[in-house]
Amino acid sequence: MIHFISKRLKHSLVLLFMASLVCFTLVVSAPGNVAVLIAELRGAVATPGYVEQVAEEIGLHKPLLMRYVDWLGDAVRGDFGISYRTGTNVSADLANRMFVTGTLIAGSAVIATLISLALGFLGAFWPYKLPDRVSRGLALLGASTPTFFVGALMIYAFSVTFQLLPSFGFNGPKSWILPWLTVAVLPAAVLSRVVRVGLEEAMTSPFVLTAKSKGLGRTAILFREALPNITPLFINALGTQVGLMTATAIIVEPLFAWQGLGDYFLAGVRFRDFMVVQACLLIFLTFFIVVNLIVDLAVLLTDPRIRRQWS
Amino acid sequence: MHDEPLLEVRNLTVNLLTAKSAVRPVDGVSYSVRQGECLAIVGESGSGKTVMNFAPLGLMPTGVTTMLSGSVKLEGRELIGLPEAEIQKLRGKSVGFIFQDPMSALNPVRRIGRQIAEMAELHLDVTPRAAEARALELVKLVGISDPVARLRQYPHELSGGLRQRIVIAIALAGEPKLLIADEPTTALDVTVQAQILRLLKDVQRRLNMAMVLITHDMGVVAGAADNIVVMYAARAAECGPVDKVLVSPRHPYTQGLINAIPRREDPIGSEFRGLPGIPPTLGAPIKGCALAPRCELAVPACSNSRPPLVRSDDSAVLVACPVVNQGKAAA
Repeated sequence: MIHFISKRLKHSLVLLFMASLVCFTLVVSAPGNVAVLIAELRGAVATPGYVEQVAEEIGLHKPLLMRYVDWLGDAVRGDFGISYRTGTNVSADLANRMFVTGTLIAGSAVIATLISLALGFLGAFWPYKLPDRVSRGLALLGASTPTFFVGALMIYAFSVTFQLLPSFGFNGPKSWILPWLTVAVLPAAVLSRVVRVGLEEAMTSPFVLTAKSKGLGRTAILFREALPNITPLFINALGTQVGLMTATAIIVEPLFAWQGLGDYFLAGVRFRDFMVVQACLLIFLTFFIVVNLIVDLAVLLTDPRIRRQWS
Repeated sequence: MHDEPLLEVRNLTVNLLTAKSAVRPVDGVSYSVRQGECLAIVGESGSGKTVMNFAPLGLMPTGVTTMLSGSVKLEGRELIGLPEAEIQKLRGKSVGFIFQDPMSALNPVRRIGRQIAEMAELHLDVTPRAAEARALELVKLVGISDPVARLRQYPHELSGGLRQRIVIAIALAGEPKLLIADEPTTALDVTVQAQILRLLKDVQRRLNMAMVLITHDMGVVAGAADNIVVMYAARAAECGPVDKVLVSPRHPYTQGLINAIPRREDPIGSEFRGLPGIPPTLGAPIKGCALAPRCELAVPACSNSRPPLVRSDDSAVLVACPVVNQGKAAA
C-alpha cells in the first residue's frame, strides 16, 4: 500500500514537471509580441523605445531556459507572477477563482454520479425494455448536445420561462444549480452508459448464476453482486470525466458570469496575458494528475485483486 | 420413508427459444431421486444434462425463453408452471447448486465469509452474527484449514480446490434436501478431483441429502452414484443402478462410452476407442433413434420411430433400444 502510494506519487511528480515544461513552451511559442500589447494596455503610444523598455522590465530578453527556471521556481512557491494586463498578483486572483471552479466541479461531479447511477440501474433492471430505451435515449441526447447549448436551454427554461433560478452570478446554492446541471449533463450521459454496460456484463458472469442459485432476487443481485464489481470501472471513468470538467468550465463559467478559473483562463488567452495562461494551465494539469492519483487509490481500495498485487 | 422420491421428473421436455433459433435440449426424459440417494446423469457435452436440471429451477441465462412441459416434482410439489417468485424461494433453501468452474462461480470482490453467511441469513432466518458462526461451521465442515482466516479472504486468494469447497459450503448453507452438482470436478486438477468427490459423497451421506451428479466422467459415476441416467442427444438412452449399468451396459451408446475409457492394459500409443461419427444437432426433434447413424446394431427400422425407454431383461435397467430389447424378447 505504502509502496504503491510512494510509487504513484513519484510518477505524478515527474508528470507534473513535464506538464510544466509543455505549458511554458506552448505559451512562449505563441505568436505576437507581448511587450507591444502591454505597452498599449498601459495607454502609452507603443514607440519602439517604450516597447523595448517593457520587454526589459518583464524579462523577455533573458534566455528561455532562465525564464522557465525563474517561472517554475516562483510557481512552486505559489507565486505565479504579476498579470501583464491588470498588474495584479496572479496568485491572489487564483485563490478566489479556484474556490469558484472547485464548487462548480465538485457539485457537477456529485450530480453526474447520481444521475448516471440512476439511469444505468434503470436500464440494467429492465434491459431492452422501456426504461432502458429511455435511459439510452437520454444518454445519446446528453452526450451529443454541446454544453453551451445545454446552458442556454437551462437558462431559457429555468430562468426565463419559469423564473425559478438565477441565470448568472455566484451567490449561494440557488445560483449554483444551473451551472452544476449544465456541466453534469455530458459526464452523466457518458457515465450512465458505463454503469449500464458494466452492470449487464457483470450480470452475465458465472457468479451471478451462483447468486441466483442461492435464491437471491434480482434487486439483491444487482446491488450486492454486480455493483461492487463495476465500482472500480466507474471510478476510473468518473475520474476522466471530472478531469475533463476543467475544459467545460472554460465554456460554462463565462455563460453564467462566474469568475472562476475557466473565465480567468479565457480572458488570459484573449489578452495574451501569459502569466495568467501559464498559471491556469499548470493548475488544470495538476488537477488532472491529482484526480488520477485519487482514482488509482480509490480503485485500489475497491478491488481486492489489485490491492493484493501491491500489498 | 423411501416410498416417495424427493425429486421426480416425468417426461420432461425443454424448448429454448432465443431471438434467432429454437432448440430442444431435453426431450421427454424421466428420472427420480430419493432422499440419501445419488443419481448420476452422464452424457457428452450438449446432450442436455445441465439444462435438464437447471431449467425447471429457473437457472437459465437471461435472453433465453425456456418452455417446459412434463412434470418435475420436488417433495411432491409440481415445479412446472410455478411462478418464478416461488421457485426463487426453493433455490438455495430446498436445492443447493454446485457449479463446474469454481474459478468463476464466486464473486471476485466480496469476502468469502459474506458469500456464505448471506445464504444463512436468507434461508435460516438468523441474525448476521449467527450467520457468521454458521459460515465458520460450514467452512470447517468442507475441510478447509485455518477457517477463520479463510472467511476474511477473497476468492482470488484461494486455489481451485479450495474455491470448490467454498462453493460446496455455500450450497450446503441453506440446509437443502437436494444437491445438484454440475460437473463439480471437471475444472479441477486430477489429484483434487478425488478429494472433492469424496467430500461431496461424505456430506451427502452425513446430511442424508439427495444428490444429482451431472458428469461425463465414468470414474466419478462408479465412485459416487447409486443410479445412473445415460443421456444422448436430449434423450435418456439407458438408466438403472450403477453397478448393473456399468458392469453390463446394454444400450450401444452406453457400451461405446464405457468402451472409450482408456484401460491400464492398453499398449502405449494405442488408438483411443471413440465412437465413430458426431452427435446430432438439437435444432429439431429427431424422428427415429438419435444414435442410429453412429450405431453398429442399427437396422432400417431404427430411423422410423423413436425407441421407447423400456425394461430390459433386468427389470431394474431401462433401455431405449429396440434391437437390444428385441434380443431380450427372443431370448
